[in-house]
Amino acid sequence: MVEYGTAIHVEDFGLEVGTPTVRSVGPLTFGPEGILFVADNVGAVIFAIDVGDSNNGRPQSVDMTNFDTSLASYLGCSRDDLAIRDMAVHPRSGNVYFSVIRGSGDAALPVIIRVSGGGAISDVPLENVAFSQTVITDAADKDDPRLVTREKLRTVTVTDMSYVDGLLLVAGTSNEEFSSTLRRIPFPFNGDVDSNSLEIFHVSHGKYESEAPIRAFVPYQGNASILASYTCTPVVQFSIAEFEPGKKVMGKTVAELGAHNRPLDLVSYEHGGWEYLLVCNDRHPLFKIACKDIDVQGPLTVPDDSLDESPADPVTPGVGVPRQLLPHAGVKRMASLNGSGVLMMQQDEDGNIHLHSYSVESL
Amino acid sequence: MTRCRQLHLEWLEHRGRTCLRVRGWAESEWHGFGVMASALDRRLSILPSDVLESGVDFRTVPTLAGELIMEHASVCFVPRFPFMDGTSYTLLVYPDGRSEGPEAWAIRRPLPPSAPHTEALAIYPTAAALPVNLLRIYVHFSGPMSEGWAGRAVRACCEDTREVLEEAFLPPDPELWDPERRRLTMLLDPGRIKRGLAPNREVGYPLVEGATVKVIVDTEFRDASDQPLKSAVKRSYRIGPALRSRVCPEHWRLKAPKIGSLGQLKIQFDRPMDHALLQRGLTVCDADGVPVPGLGAPGASEESWLFTPDSPWGEGRYRLLVEPRLEDVAGNSLLRVFDRDVTKDEPPPLRGRRVRLDFSCASTP
Repeated sequence: MVEYGTAIHVEDFGLEVGTPTVRSVGPLTFGPEGILFVADNVGAVIFAIDVGDSNNGRPQSVDMTNFDTSLASYLGCSRDDLAIRDMAVHPRSGNVYFSVIRGSGDAALPVIIRVSGGGAISDVPLENVAFSQTVITDAADKDDPRLVTREKLRTVTVTDMSYVDGLLLVAGTSNEEFSSTLRRIPFPFNGDVDSNSLEIFHVSHGKYESEAPIRAFVPYQGNASILASYTCTPVVQFSIAEFEPGKKVMGKTVAELGAHNRPLDLVSYEHGGWEYLLVCNDRHPLFKIACKDIDVQGPLTVPDDSLDESPADPVTPGVGVPRQLLPHAGVKRMASLNGSGVLMMQQDEDGNIHLHSYSVESL
Repeated sequence: MTRCRQLHLEWLEHRGRTCLRVRGWAESEWHGFGVMASALDRRLSILPSDVLESGVDFRTVPTLAGELIMEHASVCFVPRFPFMDGTSYTLLVYPDGRSEGPEAWAIRRPLPPSAPHTEALAIYPTAAALPVNLLRIYVHFSGPMSEGWAGRAVRACCEDTREVLEEAFLPPDPELWDPERRRLTMLLDPGRIKRGLAPNREVGYPLVEGATVKVIVDTEFRDASDQPLKSAVKRSYRIGPALRSRVCPEHWRLKAPKIGSLGQLKIQFDRPMDHALLQRGLTVCDADGVPVPGLGAPGASEESWLFTPDSPWGEGRYRLLVEPRLEDVAGNSLLRVFDRDVTKDEPPPLRGRRVRLDFSCASTP
């Protein structure tokens, strides 16, 4: 049995031992010293939690068939009662963490699950843990001058997070405005959120400029750039150097995914001295982009007619960054295995969910 | 011969939790449990019955998280996570050494008695005619709802043909709710609305211009206590041309009430506006910029906004402040057109400042 204990000097990051009020669990990402960021979209809070994973062992690959059945058994429910929200790999131990909701409505139970390299399932206790938290506030309400009482209807739902050089980058979707806002939250948390929000636009084919919520994103090039995917399907590149508060940030659209095909997750990895990105979608196959191709790719200025001709199978795009399709089916979530490979959560045609690790050589 | 005995499974409140108690053990196996502390874990495991029926080898899956305790000739299982109502659980009892297959004993958690009591109160917009690039709808419920049903229970179809408009709505993952889980936001697929994007070119708008489209919220939508809705709710819209221009408050008409009255201020828009953003997008202030206490609410079809003050209107000038992010039903705001054609002479997005419209109330004759 693996023993888990406090792994970090929690006071260095403003964490204090207590019991966080976790109403829901959503996107996950690891920060410094293995601190796990957990977005709670019901409570409108992001928690930073010391998961007590002090194992410095070599990251192990994780392979589990029928992971959802094992998880349902551990949590005492049927597979239909499970919602696996996100997945992240601990940067040192290689243990895999999942945000999971068991049940729904009043009976919904948020759980952080840990899967070790050997496939053992456990949960991270959310009582008496070292944690800190920041509220996802809504910038537009901050200086609302009105005196009348309004119903609290407005929310921001976090769709993805990444930690970059002392900043937690948070993409979210409002349940009202259709805007593209990337929050930059300094960590350790100090309450400074709104002043670091960015408005981000993308241009389609040099003709139509619009905003849209970012669905998923991944930093790459040593955190100099971000590749983001939108709810309206483009894949867009941004330079982090342009991220100055108050500045209108324009992204470079480098690829489109086509109709009825939502982007789900992105991951970066290095192989043979080159960096690559994987993008998984809910309809089309997993595809791979070489970062060097993004650098030389100009923004898309003409529509990709190959999608019009063969919308169901955009194997070789006529324009945009070159993409290589990979055979991995039903990929829902991906996470870097700390440089050695990529962990994929895959759903088969019968709806069963499996975990598979792939070496970078095999991708 | 332990298999001759009858085990009794029952639910028991133990240390504030519902536990599973198992009685009826044969004397010999009871003594076997007690020889080694780990014997109990090796001999007994509890699984959701679904797992046994899933076709997955149950020997490869973990047992329910929790603790087995021997107490007064019975074994109690204290779960790490509460048992779920309506779920069946199976106790597997292995012969010593697990050399043979286990016995299986099942018990189901009862469902609390209840009946449908939650209603879908309204679907917004309420305008009878909408542009083909409608961006979102809202569904209001009378009580808190469960997540996971929006994609199944909300649909749009052509009223004439009854044909469902496939994938008109963006798959709601994540679902967009207010904090109380009473108001659901459903986005029509923005990739199909934005000009120039592949989805728009390939399959066109989510709605059909010229058609009458019906939005339906089915009874299967579950509330927070897992009950269906009392009844289905529908709303029909005639779908017209796309609406692509910035929201311009200069085009609105203000109908001011009389001085000394508690009459309504009416702002008539030139288009249907977003119902949610109207709740906080407009503020009435006095000449010094101090908000006037009162109640503002969207008017019919969200094509107007009505404000009733708490105190009678005075003689001075008033201001209506308009939030720049106020949007119409197609996502156009004061700041920008939803999808701006940068090759045409459309104004670029503005930086956000509130727009101010001044007005005075009419004198009493």
